Amino acid sequence: MNEQEMREVFREMRDEPVPADSLARVRVAVDQRIHRRPWRFAWKLAAAVVMAACIVGAFLLLRPGKPVPIQQVSLPEIAQVLPPVEIPPLPEVPVRTAPRPKRARPRPVVEGVPVSIRIETADPDVVILLVN
Amino acid sequence: MGEIPREAAGSFDQVLRRREAQVLRTAFRILGNWADAEDVAQEAFLRLHRHGLDFANDGATGAWLYRVTVNLCLDRTRARRPSQELADVPSLARSAEASVLMEEQKQRLMAALALLPVKERAAVVLPEIEGLSTADVAAALGSSEVTVRSQISKALVRLRGILNRGDA
Repeated sequence: MNEQEMREVFREMRDEPVPADSLARVRVAVDQRIHRRPWRFAWKLAAAVVMAACIVGAFLLLRPGKPVPIQQVSLPEIAQVLPPVEIPPLPEVPVRTAPRPKRARPRPVVEGVPVSIRIETADPDVVILLVN
Repeated sequence: MGEIPREAAGSFDQVLRRREAQVLRTAFRILGNWADAEDVAQEAFLRLHRHGLDFANDGATGAWLYRVTVNLCLDRTRARRPSQELADVPSLARSAEASVLMEEQKQRLMAALALLPVKERAAVVLPEIEGLSTADVAAALGSSEVTVRSQISKALVRLRGILNRGDA
């Protein structure tokens, strides 16, 4: 194929129609993508607003409260506000002390005397002897 | 996103309908398949929507669309290097019918175009198929007219070489 023939084929290509389904697909896709964007943008905006509201709410909730002003009151003022109250004397009640529990006296240990215990069992041939 | 005014939104549809064939055809001739061309066309018109229709005239809109389309095609093909195999270039001696022959020649030329570097492909497609002037092609490609002329002549020589090797 020489250059002249090539140019002729190129000219033929120029007049070739574009497939209608391709055109339709592009049109639909462009339309969808253009009109989808505002919604996507709105969702993003709404999400950002909600997040900002949450942050502000958390900040307000967790912030330490305002310090309550403490009124400085002098002692004479307190005395004026609260009159002295007379406390009646309590009746005297005799105090009883609980008797102390008696301690058991330790038995005196007799030194030098061997102590043995004899335990007889059911078997007449078996006798247990505990020595000292 | 900068929304275009309501009165212009109607004209965006008009521009879309007037220019969609141009954008799709150009993308198809550069990329070689309709699926990729449709993706590029969508993106080009979305960019037009974002950009708005603030052009001096219809020709300026067309030139802007050509530039965006070519750039999107370049981006898309940057990762894919053209293969140097000739296996996909169909042989000429298959049909004697003129119309069938022409169809076959178109396919061979498209297959040969696909083997060119993408910038050279665009430099051939825009003037030869889209009928753009060298100045318009230079604007679309972001090159000088001298560079474009050189690219076109180099591309035509390469195409001839590919097609002749295919005939042999």
